Amino acid sequence: MADNKSPLSSTGLTEAEAKEYHSLFMSSTIAYVVVAVIAHFLVWNWRPWFPGVNGYSLNDHILPAVSQLTSMLS
Amino acid sequence: MWRIWLMFDPRRTLIALVVWLAVLALTIHFILLSTNRFNWIEGVKKAASMDVTISEMIS
Repeated sequence: MADNKSPLSSTGLTEAEAKEYHSLFMSSTIAYVVVAVIAHFLVWNWRPWFPGVNGYSLNDHILPAVSQLTSMLS
Repeated sequence: MWRIWLMFDPRRTLIALVVWLAVLALTIHFILLSTNRFNWIEGVKKAASMDVTISEMIS
């Protein structure tokens, strides 16, 4: 047991155990980040959280109205 | 990078990480629910009240 334990190990894990745990930890972290990125993408499409210099109203009300007007006129 | 688990206890680190992420996520969700724009349950209240006022003015 002591043969494959690193002298630096203060947690009692062997190198193989640390590597095994690390691969699980990294795959879980990546899955969590992917879910978070998808959620942020959907929320940004729903309501962007950085207002322009004219506030939120330009994006939410005026620009859709302008595009609707131009589509009606054309 | 895997050598981090020789220094930090995996069980304690995992519990601390899960607790921290849960506290952070709950805080952010409740902050968003307390706002008008990002409340996904109640919706935007200002527009609804304006509609009511306009319909009251018309009738």
